[in-house]
Amino acid sequence: MDGSDLSEDSALKATISNTFDVLGWEIELAAARSIYLDSIIGRMIGLLPDERKAEFVESMHTVDLLSQQLTGLSAFTRRMSGEAPDVHAYVHTALEQIPLGALADRMGVALGGVEKDINDGDGAGDLDLF
Amino acid sequence: MLEGRGQKIVVVDNDRTVLELLQIRLEVAGYHAHIVRTGAQALDLLKHLHPAAMILDLRLADTDSFDLLQTIRARHPDQHFPILATGRGLVADDLRRALSAGAQNCLIKPYSGTDAVERVGRLIQACHFPGAHAIELTKPRAVA
Repeated sequence: MDGSDLSEDSALKATISNTFDVLGWEIELAAARSIYLDSIIGRMIGLLPDERKAEFVESMHTVDLLSQQLTGLSAFTRRMSGEAPDVHAYVHTALEQIPLGALADRMGVALGGVEKDINDGDGAGDLDLF
Repeated sequence: MLEGRGQKIVVVDNDRTVLELLQIRLEVAGYHAHIVRTGAQALDLLKHLHPAAMILDLRLADTDSFDLLQTIRARHPDQHFPILATGRGLVADDLRRALSAGAQNCLIKPYSGTDAVERVGRLIQACHFPGAHAIELTKPRAVA
C-alpha cells in the first residue's frame, strides 16, 4: 500500500535520510535503556551473596551484548542517514505496524506529523520520562 | 565509579526521544538530568536550579535558541556553567553564533549518547580546570 488511497493530509511522507535519522535515535534510545538495565543488574549482583552472583553474571553479559549490538546498529543508521538519497517515501503504513502507541506517535511527530501542544501533558515542566 | 556525582544537567530539546535518551545516559553516568522541551521552561527551571552544565538544542520550536542563550547568560551572570549546543543541519555560521552567544561547545545531530555524555563531562572538567579547556567543534557530518 502506498499513499495513493489516502488524502494529501493523512499520507505522511518523509525523506529516506530523515527516516534513517529518526530510526537511529530510537535505536540509540533502546541502547540507552539496555545500558540502564545492565547497570541495574550490576547493582543487584553487588547485593547478592557470592554463591549466587554467578546466576546473574550471564544475564549481565547478555544485556551488555544487547547494548553493544544496539549501539552498533545506531551508529550504522546514523551514517546511513548521511548517505541516503534525498527522496521521499510514505511512512504512515509502516508506522501503523508499530503496536506501541507512544513509539509510533513519537516517530510520527519526528517524521513530520503533527504534535499536540508541547506545553500540554507530559511536555510541560521538568519532565521525568523514566 | 560514577563520573557525574549527582551534578545537575539541564537538557533542552523538543524531541522526546532525545530527551529520554539523554536522561537515561546522564543518570547512568551519575548525573541528575533535568529535561525540558521549551525555552520558556528552561528559563523557568533556571530560576531555582544551578546546573553544572546544559545541553541546548539550537532548533527549538518555541523560541530562537540563540536569543535564549544570550538571555540565559544575561540573567545568570554569576553562573558559569558550560552549555553544549546541539542541532541537526547546523552550518558553520550557526556554530559561530552559538559560541558567541554563550555556548562552549557544539555537537551536531545525530550524535551518540556516549559522545554527548563524554562531551558534557569534559566541559564540566574544563570549567573547573580552565587551563585544560579548549573549544572543539565536532563535525560528524559535512557542514556547509
